[in-house]
Amino acid sequence: MTLVIGALSIGLILSVLALGIYISFRIFDFPDITAEGSITLGAAVAAALLVSGVNPFAATAAAFCAGSAAGALTGVLHTKLKINGLLSGILVMTALYSVNLHVMGKSNVPLLSSTTLGNYAEDAARALGMSAGGLKLLGWDVGVRDFSILVGVFGAIVIMGFALDRFFRTHLGTAMRATGDNPQMIRALGVDVSAMMILGLAVANGLVAVSGGLLAQYQGFADVQMGIGMLVWGLASVVIGEALVGVRSLGLAIVGTIMGSVLFRLLVAMALRWGLDPNDLKLITAVFVFGALVLPTLLGKLRSRKPQVAHA
Amino acid sequence: MLEVRQISKTFNPGTINEVRSLQEISLSVEDGSFVTVIGTNGSGKSTLLNAVAGGFFVDAGSIHLGGRDVTRWPEHRRAAFIGRVFQNPFSGTAPSMSIAENLSLAARRGRSRGFGPALGARWMRELQERVRVLNMGLESRLANAIGTLSGGERQALTLLMATWLRPELLLLDEHTAALDPKSGDKVIRVSEEIIARDKLTALMVTHAMSQAATLGDRLIMMHRGRIIYDVCGAEKHRLRPAELLARFEEVRRGEQLDETAAEMLKRTYI
Repeated sequence: MTLVIGALSIGLILSVLALGIYISFRIFDFPDITAEGSITLGAAVAAALLVSGVNPFAATAAAFCAGSAAGALTGVLHTKLKINGLLSGILVMTALYSVNLHVMGKSNVPLLSSTTLGNYAEDAARALGMSAGGLKLLGWDVGVRDFSILVGVFGAIVIMGFALDRFFRTHLGTAMRATGDNPQMIRALGVDVSAMMILGLAVANGLVAVSGGLLAQYQGFADVQMGIGMLVWGLASVVIGEALVGVRSLGLAIVGTIMGSVLFRLLVAMALRWGLDPNDLKLITAVFVFGALVLPTLLGKLRSRKPQVAHA
Repeated sequence: MLEVRQISKTFNPGTINEVRSLQEISLSVEDGSFVTVIGTNGSGKSTLLNAVAGGFFVDAGSIHLGGRDVTRWPEHRRAAFIGRVFQNPFSGTAPSMSIAENLSLAARRGRSRGFGPALGARWMRELQERVRVLNMGLESRLANAIGTLSGGERQALTLLMATWLRPELLLLDEHTAALDPKSGDKVIRVSEEIIARDKLTALMVTHAMSQAATLGDRLIMMHRGRIIYDVCGAEKHRLRPAELLARFEEVRRGEQLDETAAEMLKRTYI
């Protein structure tokens, strides 16, 4: 049970990353590799601040700001300085590796003795009268800390999902979506496409960094290597979400992305439990996303070929 | 009022693909005037519209709109005063967004876009009324994605979007060329209605002689980056498509002579 709760918690935390990736990949159609650097940046900033005793809410907010700055930088490189989109992200990601090391001061910062959002969640649960020993859930023993963190993370994601859905229905949010959908049109309606792109990438990477900050607090450390493969991970969540709920509306896509992240984490936890070599994890994730990207077109081709065969 | 003064534009200068698209063009369009623009392929008519809209900066000359010098303004800034409909029906709307969302984007053309909801209740009512004017039954499908509409419906909506806030200048770039004849006629009729109702200043590029002859109060013919014919008022009203075609033929015949010879002949006989 602890394993399931852990997988759910991490899945929810990483769904913030997936939402960021959804914004850059799906709304702006921009392959933003910056995410691999900004998730670590978020973790590094949050960890460094937490170690020096800053309030965990403030530390998480600082992670958002740092990630936004990184995203905005990628946006400026791409739109103002006309550098290829993929390369802009790679440049910022590479630079962030050194930045992250400087922020943390070393390659790994443990948070075990710092007050984190996890402590807050646990304190809240205690205040609500939960016993220290643990509680029974569906007949399983569950630690108060694990459970309260799960509830806290769940609440936070629900609020974030709602806020994001609301935002993309405002004047500014719709202009942002239109920028990804048809830049020529939105320019003719008086919107500065470059500014929208920079703003969008800032929001996306801000979310990615928050995910990193939360992850560091959850697992109790920030590590300079933790961003590797995170982009594909987030993309996998987006793709699973689209398979689960379709792409009909924005609200559904947001819910789907969150569900996709949780489901993917659960699947991975199960696979690891059944003896999957952790070293193979990234390979399998990449193959999975590859399949998800290629299969629909492949199936479509097969389907369209059949009638022709019938004619012959 | 639009004032174009001596603008020139050369694409790919210094290469074998060099094209002198606009050559010292001057044009002034009075407020409330509806100008049709015709010309052979590559004559620079669409380029002229693009230069005015800000799709690129001109090499020389200046462009003034309502007394403002907009020559160095980027496209999105000029959009506050200019409404546009493109030739390609896919260009003017965001396909994955709903009709209502597209129109609400247009309703803030050139204005600030904040955190207010794009689809408020009052706005939806206003929306239905104004979409009904198109007479296409779109008012009952406001939540549908634009991508599900036909080309004609999209162009009519783009037109409505371009004129939702009264533009100082409306630019129509062969906006019926990609449509079937029936939808094309419908879109032309709606264009005429809106331009007359709101007394808009408009520049319409077209390749249909009949449209050029019957619509608007002024006609401009372009050739090789220059304006070669400009009629307005009573003379424009007497103009028939057949006469326009004859003019075109004249230009084409002139084409068969080499440039300098044609120039010399013109100087001697005209």
